[in-house]
Amino acid sequence: MANPFRLPMVPRALRNLVSRPATRLYPTELRPRFAGARGAIVFDVESCNFCMLCARRCPAAAIECSREDRSWAIDQLTCIACGVCVEVCNKKSLSMSAEPGRVHTRAEATPDGRRPGREEWLKPAPPPDLTTAPVSAAATD
Amino acid sequence: MKRTTIPFGPQHPVLPEPLVLDLILEDEKVIDAIPTIGYIHRGLEMMVERVEYTEMGFVVERICGICSFMHGMGYCVSLEAIMNVEVPERARWLRLVWAEISRIQSHLLWLGLGADAFGFENLFMHCWRMREQILDIFEKTTGGRIIHSVNRIGGVKRDIADSELAAILAELQELGAAFKETARVFGTDPSIAHRLGGVGVLTKADALAVDAVGPMVRASGIATDTRLGGAFMYDQIDFEPVVETAGDCLARVLVRLREVDQSIDIIRQAIDKMPKGEGLPIENRPRGLPSGEVFTRLEQPRGEVVYYVKANGTKNLERFRARTPTFANIPAMIKLVKGCDLADVPNIILTIDPCISCTER
Amino acid sequence: MDTTAFLARVEEYHRDGWRLALINVTTVLPAAPAAHGAQTAVEAAAVGAAPLDGPGVFEIAWGFARGGEFKTIREQIEQGQSVPSISEFFGAAFLYENEIRELFGINVTGMGVDLKGQLYKTATRVPFSHGAVKARLAALAASAVKPS
Repeated sequence: MANPFRLPMVPRALRNLVSRPATRLYPTELRPRFAGARGAIVFDVESCNFCMLCARRCPAAAIECSREDRSWAIDQLTCIACGVCVEVCNKKSLSMSAEPGRVHTRAEATPDGRRPGREEWLKPAPPPDLTTAPVSAAATD
Repeated sequence: MKRTTIPFGPQHPVLPEPLVLDLILEDEKVIDAIPTIGYIHRGLEMMVERVEYTEMGFVVERICGICSFMHGMGYCVSLEAIMNVEVPERARWLRLVWAEISRIQSHLLWLGLGADAFGFENLFMHCWRMREQILDIFEKTTGGRIIHSVNRIGGVKRDIADSELAAILAELQELGAAFKETARVFGTDPSIAHRLGGVGVLTKADALAVDAVGPMVRASGIATDTRLGGAFMYDQIDFEPVVETAGDCLARVLVRLREVDQSIDIIRQAIDKMPKGEGLPIENRPRGLPSGEVFTRLEQPRGEVVYYVKANGTKNLERFRARTPTFANIPAMIKLVKGCDLADVPNIILTIDPCISCTER
Repeated sequence: MDTTAFLARVEEYHRDGWRLALINVTTVLPAAPAAHGAQTAVEAAAVGAAPLDGPGVFEIAWGFARGGEFKTIREQIEQGQSVPSISEFFGAAFLYENEIRELFGINVTGMGVDLKGQLYKTATRVPFSHGAVKARLAALAASAVKPS
């Protein structure tokens, strides 16, 4: 039988009485994010040329992209933050933020069944360039 | 004598995951135990039918949160063997470093859970406090705490700068020094020795008969370790498997305690031996589609894992199978539970370090 | 399969100090989709290049490990045939044998511990039987065909 008066945890327990807590008061005190942490996907609609590569290669099928509508959408709650889309993007429109995405709640779901966490972009088609416009309509008086 | 059947689980204070054992008791003695798993069977092996092989790695990583890195590595190593890809040396060393860090993480997690199971909550908190430092290292280097997504067929996605590797090693060695105090509590506290010593003894002969793996079998005096096979750069590392001879619950705790120190030493050797410099190649992308089959064995924190991958020249694999260490240790667990007291069942189950997510996939 | 010769080989592994590492089953589909230019089994089924009907064959591999070595015994059986249990040599075999019966529907004779179908709880009964695999592939193929 081991010696019942041997108490190896006692010194540590006494030190814990006077030491600072090891945890943070989470919602008020945040740990700074590490550079390179994989957080939410950030999309820049201006540079996107709607090549659809990200939507095709996304393993979670979280990205919807349409060339005809010039629209791009991501389901942040389906996204697994693997970074594949960022890697395949030719135009560098996608990047990964170190900050995690916003917390979404079920109450955000709209009556038409749209999932919370869905973010959409629409890029209007550029106005037709008049200098090189076809001249077929001209000179028909 | 009248027999009583007690369902142990799926929800039980010591079980982090759902496992059912129907315990058949005579008085307080367990006569028989019938396992039922499948509460978290997700059919991940079936997903190869519709998930392409390049994306399957992300699925395999999610078999289990603790061995996430090792599962991803095992899958990529299997595909690399099939596709004849030569992985750059630096990437192989980085994988080894991450693998050993995840071993430390897993053991700290388990030691905490074990302490909680035998009622030592203070110890549980200290183990998990240290585990948090390991998770921070993971987040700094891979970008994720639990799901690392850093393995890719042909190498790894991220490099760790040499200066950062040195800093990680210093941090781990500091952690190892601080861990000594906690380890001493596990090793010398009389209440722990009283609770675990002589409980659930797996003799050497029994361990061989039930084909147990990992710390379970090393605690019974058998020096078996898949890392000794030398694959994945372990041939360049000087280490001896940690072996205890008692075979009881306490021995299984001690094996994991000592493996934490051993892993820190392995990481030190690896960082010492890996090629240094900026911009060294860390991946070698494969070409074409995989065709062939392979069995891969790795030493996970919980023991040996075996992957079987069969590819038929299409984007979808024909078969993916993971035989995880807990699956191999369930026969040993059932053997130990038979004949023990009901009060000892939680500790016996916990000391095999059960991971039901792994077992069921 | 030749039961007597198989058990003799297993006994030899047992005598030589090998450890049972796993029993793995593969549902062997008759398809050879790559030969037809299809990229996936689903596409192959969609274009009709891979007949999903045919004899139901399972390949079973008994894997043994000793140190760094790994060896397998392979056998192919047809659906409906049974395999002998190796529980008498390897105590852990019962778990794998119960698993292959529940997931693949392969009958194992003389199992050490019969869990009577209690091991897994799956939505589909026998999810890797030829019938179930083919039904899933056919469903995938049907959903993969896009209207042009």
